[in-house]
Amino acid sequence: MPFIGNKPTAIPLSADDLEDNIISTAKIQDNAVTPAKYIEPIPFRNIIINGDMSLAQRSTSVASISSGVAYHTVDRWITSASSAGTWTQSQSTDVPSGQGFSSSLKMDCTVANASLSASSELLLQSRFEGQNLQYLKKGTSSAESTTLSFWVKSNKTGTYIAELFDSDNTRQISKSYTIDSSDTWEKKTLTFAGDTTGVFGNDNGNSLSLNLWLSAGSTYTSGTLSTTWTSYTNSNRAVGVTNLADSTSNEWYITGVQLEAGTSASDFEFLPYDTNLQRCQRYFFSLGGSATYQTYGYGMCFSTTAGMIGVPYPTTMRSAPTVSTETLSSFVTKSGSQLGGAPTSLVADFPGINFANVELGGLSSMTDKNALRLYTNNSTATRLEFNAEL
Amino acid sequence: MINTVTKNYNVDNVFCSYQVTYDNGKVSSVPLDPANTDYQEIQQWIADGGTVIDNGGGE
Repeated sequence: MPFIGNKPTAIPLSADDLEDNIISTAKIQDNAVTPAKYIEPIPFRNIIINGDMSLAQRSTSVASISSGVAYHTVDRWITSASSAGTWTQSQSTDVPSGQGFSSSLKMDCTVANASLSASSELLLQSRFEGQNLQYLKKGTSSAESTTLSFWVKSNKTGTYIAELFDSDNTRQISKSYTIDSSDTWEKKTLTFAGDTTGVFGNDNGNSLSLNLWLSAGSTYTSGTLSTTWTSYTNSNRAVGVTNLADSTSNEWYITGVQLEAGTSASDFEFLPYDTNLQRCQRYFFSLGGSATYQTYGYGMCFSTTAGMIGVPYPTTMRSAPTVSTETLSSFVTKSGSQLGGAPTSLVADFPGINFANVELGGLSSMTDKNALRLYTNNSTATRLEFNAEL
Repeated sequence: MINTVTKNYNVDNVFCSYQVTYDNGKVSSVPLDPANTDYQEIQQWIADGGTVIDNGGGE
């Protein structure tokens, strides 16, 4: 362009000089933006499995939780409770609006404890295999930071604690967050520095857990909150945590939990239902429990009173699973048209990580070497569970 | 909480898993896999003084 007088100094444009939405997609030349100029979200970046609380294979609601360490409802979320009230845990449909979630995990206090003992605790935990964490380079000078993001809601405002606990090296780091507004979904983001000490085992063991503290006694709160990685001291783990157990009016919801490498939180990574299910089934799956007359497996009789069925798993499990049932009397065995009754014993015979042989005893009127079928009667509650949780 | 622990023997009379009964009535077959957390719990239960029932095989 021609000009009169001195040539003006060239001033580079900055992002602030551009009006919002001034450059449309049509104005950008095809292939002008190369991969080096944009960040593509990394698939499977979320270390947490079932962070959207969409799967609850065991149950959708369990009441009277007051002690012990156990998986109750939502897959991959274990509860540790001791002298911190009594709770009903459920998979809830109360979710943050417009975020794409359909489920949350709800803790509802049914018996309060406003005077905690020293060892009181209530926390939700998700555990991770070391072989899935090697890219964090923990225990090296290149250790990655991790960022935790989640949506939370409670009537009980105040300070809560999120902790990463390294079980391989008994090290931990805690961060506090605040629920600011009662009964309002809030998104929280916490970044944990990388740890240059303590390598994770490259195996299927429990190397790291995320602990979400909801209540804690002085054993865990009497020190100074440990906000950098250090060998664990119980008194520094949950300093300042609110006592969610102090009233039966209290309830607490969480969903959209994501833990990822780096110092910033990306959008929650939604996975297809089948992918999420398969990832959960590496740790737990059950047969039956949804319809009557469901078949669990086929095999053969090896006497008139005993037999064996084979059960292939839907995916390779983390370890050989525990095989359990609470409803042995609801099973039915059959060989051809001959009923063999309900087994009185069920024994897993060297179960592996892909397949289980299950021996059944206490049958009647069977014929050696004949085929055998195990199924449920007209009960929808008959379940055969396979558990390889961390 | 563990109620009883009994050794399971398979059709070949080989010790193949633990049978565990719990206070809530649940019955579990626990594999002999050190990576299984129920197996770990049994080992702790034994270390704390629990006695495993061994009826032998041969049924």
